[in-house]
Amino acid sequence: MKSKLVLLSIVFSLIFTNSIFADQKHLVGADADYGEHLFGECVTCHNSTGLGQGIPKITGMKTNQFITKILAYKSKEKENAVMQMVAERLGEEEINSLALYLSKLK
Amino acid sequence: MTKIKRRTFVGLAAATTTALSMPSIAFGALPRVVVIGGGAGGATAAKYIAKDSKGAIDVTLVEASKRYYTCFFSNLYLGDFRAYSSIGHNYYGLAVNHGVNMVHEWALSVNNAAKKVNLGSGESISYDKLVISPGIDLKFESVNGYSAEAQSKMPHAWKSGTQVQLLKNQVKGMKKGGTFVMVPPPNPYRCPPGPYERVSMIAHQFKKSNPTAKIVILDPKNKFSKQGLFMEGWQKHYPGMIEWISAETHGGIKKINAETMEFETDLDTFKADAASVVPAQRAGRIAMNAGVNKGDWCPIVPGSMQAQADENIYVLGDASIAKSMPKSGFSANSQAKVAANHIRGSLTGSKVFTPRFANTCWSLVATNDGIKVGANYKATAEKIDKTSGFISKTGEDSNLRKATYEESIGWYSGITSDMFS
Ligand SMILES: Cc1cc2nc3c(=O)[nH]c(=O)nc-3n(C[C@H](O)[C@H](O)[C@H](O)COP(=O)(O)OP(=O)(O)OC[C@H]3O[C@@H](n4cnc5c(N)ncnc54)[C@H](O)[C@@H]3O)c2cc1C
Repeated sequence: MKSKLVLLSIVFSLIFTNSIFADQKHLVGADADYGEHLFGECVTCHNSTGLGQGIPKITGMKTNQFITKILAYKSKEKENAVMQMVAERLGEEEINSLALYLSKLK
Repeated sequence: MTKIKRRTFVGLAAATTTALSMPSIAFGALPRVVVIGGGAGGATAAKYIAKDSKGAIDVTLVEASKRYYTCFFSNLYLGDFRAYSSIGHNYYGLAVNHGVNMVHEWALSVNNAAKKVNLGSGESISYDKLVISPGIDLKFESVNGYSAEAQSKMPHAWKSGTQVQLLKNQVKGMKKGGTFVMVPPPNPYRCPPGPYERVSMIAHQFKKSNPTAKIVILDPKNKFSKQGLFMEGWQKHYPGMIEWISAETHGGIKKINAETMEFETDLDTFKADAASVVPAQRAGRIAMNAGVNKGDWCPIVPGSMQAQADENIYVLGDASIAKSMPKSGFSANSQAKVAANHIRGSLTGSKVFTPRFANTCWSLVATNDGIKVGANYKATAEKIDKTSGFISKTGEDSNLRKATYEESIGWYSGITSDMFS
């Protein structure tokens, strides 16, 4: 029962994400400075300049794509112990701030 | 290169000459941060303070060496998975891209009251905030019979550099069917899984060129990091080659002799043909000179990494007591970002965010057999507390192990670029 509810909420959040977050004006609570700060946590592993060998490049990722992926790690639907742990403590404000910051990177 | 700021030039000039000739007048009244130690903690802190303050803070990094050889992946060099040159890094990126002033000298002492760092050259640099990330010093005397002289016969190779090359030569040159003895350090020490990854990589060498060789681990502990995973991997890849003997079983290492290569324990006297001895550790000496230690390590304020003994000094990485974080390059890098944000906030009034810490340590057991352990942490009043974590499982699928190894390669490239470019 609980897992069905969780699944339902994931499905909803994905739909929500794709339609609403597509427009950056709707990144609720997003703060680019906070995003830049949080991004420091990503670049310990995600090389900001390299080719993304072993760990994919995240710079240049589209806002939607980023949010969808993070939510999939958060729900543990997408496998990877490190990313599930990273996503676990990212709330909406954090995810949106990162999305906003990432969208501003070339 | 697009825009070259004036400060960038200062940094570059400082990196190519020895830096103290820089005119202090050029910096005007900018607040000044000095960082001692250009490793995982210090290089990251210097970069983030300089990068994020966009010229509003003058950052000087005092680092004894011009080239930093990472301890991380030095085991992979032992196993022939990496070239030595690939684990060496320079500081040009910090100077050129972020305007960090490089001073390649030893910091000898700190005058806390005058807020000055005294250098080997006899000159001194003033600071508003000081970051100390000097890594470890070895307590040679912690293993009876081990010494600075014995380190060439039984390399510790725990501070990377030439010791690792020496150890590799001795492993490769060991007589056929000989015995290699590994003595890991007691807790707490830099890189908890490191000694066991080292054994794995030496076993990998032996499997190729000296398959009847044996490895004996004389451990001063009764358990170790990722134990089940390592033991399973050793059984699978190197059956019969590695014997781990706990402190309980051997009763303690009474004495070692680097001339005869003997290790005396209650259980037996072990004779080695080659060996690595990693003694107990403490914070790098400069932390003691600055008076921010309590015993062997430095207590910090968990929310900022400030030394408990001096609010103008931050201690990062291995030298700090960052319980429950392990002493790792990943931890040091994570702590550096917390400190950098706090320092900027206190010097320029920029936003200070809630501190977030994380760590993941990958280890290689054999070709394409990577394992990992990681955790998130948050600051409480008393300590840096673990909030969640994971560890690889025994019996995992080989594709997952291969992906874990590949991930570690990505991490190495990520963290070194985060530190140095
Ligand atoms: C075999 C091995 C494997 C490891 N593997 C991993 C791994 O896979 N992942 C991981 O995260 N960590 C790993 N580590 C641990 C990691 O190397 C350390 O935890 C990390 O380097 C700590 O960073 P630090 O800034 O505290 O010190 P360091 O990186 O050691 O940097 C200290 C720097 O300060 C300089 N210095 C010291 N005193 C002075 C002074 N007075 N004046 C000027 N300069 C000074 C030194 O020259 C040095 O460059 C491993 C360690 C070992 C030994």
